[in-house]
Amino acid sequence: MSRPGRDDSPDRLYTLTGGRARSAPDSPFDLVTLVVAECDPVPGMQSEHAAILRLTQRPTAVVELAAELRLPVSITKILLSDLLAAGRISARHPKKPASGVHDPDVLAQVLVGLRNL
Amino acid sequence: MTAPHASGERPTARTVAPAPLITAALAALAVAGAVALAPASDRVPLGLGAGAGAVLLCVAVAVAAHAFGTARIARRRLEAVSQDAGRLLQDRVRQSAQFDQERVRLTEELTHERARADAEIAQERARLSAEFEQERARLTAENARLAERARKADHERAAAVSATANAAGRMQALATGMLADLRAMEERHEDEDVLADLLHLDHRTAQAGRLADSIAVLAGARSGRRWARPISMESILRGAMGRISGYQRVRVHSASEAAVAGHAAEGVMHALAELLDNAANFSPPTAEVHVYVEEVPAGVIVSVEDSGLVMGEVQLRRAERAVTGDDTGLGGLGGTRLGLTVVGRLARKYGLKISFRPSARGGTGVLVLVPQDILVSEQHTARPEDALPLPETAAERPAPAATVPSRSGDRPEHAADDRPEQPDADRPEQPVDHRPEPVDEHPQRSYETPHSTPDQAPGAGPDEVRAHDPHRAHHEPGNHEPDALSPVLPKRRRGRALAEAERDRERARARAADSAESPIHGAIPGPGADSTAVPLDDPLARAARFSSFRRAVRGSLSDLGESSPAENPAPLTPEPSDEPSVLSHPHPHPHPDPEGNSTS
Repeated sequence: MSRPGRDDSPDRLYTLTGGRARSAPDSPFDLVTLVVAECDPVPGMQSEHAAILRLTQRPTAVVELAAELRLPVSITKILLSDLLAAGRISARHPKKPASGVHDPDVLAQVLVGLRNL
Repeated sequence: MTAPHASGERPTARTVAPAPLITAALAALAVAGAVALAPASDRVPLGLGAGAGAVLLCVAVAVAAHAFGTARIARRRLEAVSQDAGRLLQDRVRQSAQFDQERVRLTEELTHERARADAEIAQERARLSAEFEQERARLTAENARLAERARKADHERAAAVSATANAAGRMQALATGMLADLRAMEERHEDEDVLADLLHLDHRTAQAGRLADSIAVLAGARSGRRWARPISMESILRGAMGRISGYQRVRVHSASEAAVAGHAAEGVMHALAELLDNAANFSPPTAEVHVYVEEVPAGVIVSVEDSGLVMGEVQLRRAERAVTGDDTGLGGLGGTRLGLTVVGRLARKYGLKISFRPSARGGTGVLVLVPQDILVSEQHTARPEDALPLPETAAERPAPAATVPSRSGDRPEHAADDRPEQPDADRPEQPVDHRPEPVDEHPQRSYETPHSTPDQAPGAGPDEVRAHDPHRAHHEPGNHEPDALSPVLPKRRRGRALAEAERDRERARARAADSAESPIHGAIPGPGADSTAVPLDDPLARAARFSSFRRAVRGSLSDLGESSPAENPAPLTPEPSDEPSVLSHPHPHPHPDPEGNSTS
């Protein structure tokens, strides 16, 4: 297992979200939801919120935000839900490509590639 | 004497009278005879002459009889007086003899009595001396016994405290390790139910860790852990909140940019946790506890206000006394009330000034002054990472510096104002746009998460991996490929075994080797991954040199690191608690690297 590291933070994850571990059922966020900031960070804001607003000055995926914040995706989603509820960010799903996703050949190749792993 | 003789002084007429009467009678007869015989012519003269002669004779006889009587009386009186004088003399002699006798008797008695008293005194003195000696011997023995008992008690107390400190230290290490494990699990498990359970466990473990910290503080051991970098006030407060049960009721109002020096951060956090716990416990279960942070010239004031019980005058005084930390003994510990004593110890150690007052919210307010000398200005927070010239980091840095101003010109200034720790000096102004590449975000992290370690910036490569492969996420904190590229020394993060770092590095090398034929990895090219792959052999040799150097200096540096962990950002200062974990690391290193040998 991991060891207490020099780069640990004294913050525990539950203190970031006020003890919540689940995002709201109607949460629009999944791993690839694109998030865009609607305003600038303001002083006194929770530092993670400020960081999200800085990161999302252009559309950024939830999973990238989680990686940048070094937080689990679930926690990131909760933080994003708070910001979304406050109207500080907006979220949208990436556009589906016009074609190709359902191409059986591509899917077959992906399957083969996955099996080869 | 005169009285009996008064009647005898003069002869009575009765005693004197007979002689002249007889004489007178006889003389009358003689005269009468002579007259009768004498011739008538002669009778008258004769009678006259003879009568006169007879009267004279009678007078003479009377005088003689009186004189005789007087003499007899005088003689008798003289005899009586002589007799009296003799008797008196005799009395006196007798009395004198009696007196002498009495005196002799008394003198004898006195002498005798004195001798007896002397003897008694001597005896008493001897007895008392003996008793005194005996008592003194007894007291000396008692004293020795008590001294021995006190020494034994002292020894036992020291042993107990030492054992307690030892146990508390182990509990601390266990709790810290569990927290790290839990954090890793939280990163790994996506399921929200599992995450909720893990967070619950995390919270419980953090509280257990606080208890272990409290015991360690009371036993005089050091705090749970030391942070190698300043901890921002927000993280301090959240770290304190995370250790109490009622953290959800704590509301933090802080816009402070201050940070607490690494060596004191844990203590400040712990003290605040105890105070927050008090505030939460002594207020209604639904009431909120408000925490305000204010920067003043003397430091930072953290005020904790609850709306619960108002402390009385006596309680306030007692609390004030407890938190001054003047009473360093364990005697003042009152059963279950450990918190304020712990706060007092910590306040004394780190120079915190704590005062209590009634709160305007209706409860009690606690003011904590964190003094300036354990505060670090935010500019220094990011310095350690900049101090090491890391080429790959510098290569990545231009990206964000360029991308941010490329979209909105006011952002960099805003960021610099908001987060003064952002190292602007290391950002070359290269207008290179790396937008589609995931590496863009890495350097920004240093100001997005002010509590992030200086070591995190080099961890860009693993971050990129984690973003696309969540199953590897838990390896991320210890990933060291970029460190190995450092032209100076490879870095081992605190608490990480070198073997683990080595393993990560080897994994990175394998990944880099696979990246050519692996379609999935090749699909997500990133400068971080590419740069890690190229110069691995060279840093490996350097790491070997470093490890031998580190072995040589480990002993002497362990105390050095204890004294100044915050000033030395390089991982040359191993934290003492980490040493066992390094030495007893269960993973044997597969390849014959000197670092691996040194740790296995």
